[in-house]
Amino acid sequence: MPVPSGGRDSTDNVDSVLAALADPMRRRILDLLAGHPESTATLLAGELPVSRQAVVQHLAVLESVELVASGRVGRERRYRVRPERLTATASWMRRVAQQWDSRLNAIRLLAEAAEPPVDD
Amino acid sequence: MKPDRIERDIVIAAPIERVWKVLTAPEHVGVWFGQGQPVEIDLRPGGTMVLDHGIHGIFPTRIVTVEEPQRFSYRWASAHPGEPATEENSTLVEFTLSTEGDKTRLVVVETGFASLEIPPEREATAGYDSHTAGWLEVTGNLARYAEQL
Repeated sequence: MPVPSGGRDSTDNVDSVLAALADPMRRRILDLLAGHPESTATLLAGELPVSRQAVVQHLAVLESVELVASGRVGRERRYRVRPERLTATASWMRRVAQQWDSRLNAIRLLAEAAEPPVDD
Repeated sequence: MKPDRIERDIVIAAPIERVWKVLTAPEHVGVWFGQGQPVEIDLRPGGTMVLDHGIHGIFPTRIVTVEEPQRFSYRWASAHPGEPATEENSTLVEFTLSTEGDKTRLVVVETGFASLEIPPEREATAGYDSHTAGWLEVTGNLARYAEQL
């Protein structure tokens, strides 16, 4: 989908990131990975109440939406956080909020225009 | 699960009835959310309010709540121009009006982008401020947090 600047119809990437982050365990994994770059599924599972296999599956989801990247080092696959998509999601949310600020201000101007100013 | 949300508010120097009218009258909605022309509004729960978002398309939103003059909400399929809003394809926009002295506070909350719940441990590590905690700030913190690595 095209991603016009300032538009609301640019939700495809945002949706996939938010959907991936909707799972509390995936957020925990992302947090852990943030504190332990180049970690492995085995190391992460050691810190979490879930199996290594579950961690691998969560990491696959995070990697599919480009929130993490991985590379093979010897026999192990090592993971790290990719901040770009988080930053893009944050920017999108900020734009949505700014659009509401503009609309609220327009409502204020309309409402105040028809009424005499109220003394403070 | 706590839904994701964006919350913004403004204080308006006008009575609540006046703000309600600006919020819901076709000629006003066409100005604050539209291209200047009056919009089509069937002002009742289940009714349709057609929002013209210019280059982004025309959105037949579905009105959910009409409680004059305190609450007005509608569903908006912001990613799907032209499509009627359903539970599946839309966010929920909720306006709440309250009197503050001789002014009116207008709050807008938009929810449903996805479900996102920030764990308590993140609140500490990311400088999370519960007073300004909205999804926006949380997301910003998340991004900054990641960027520090």
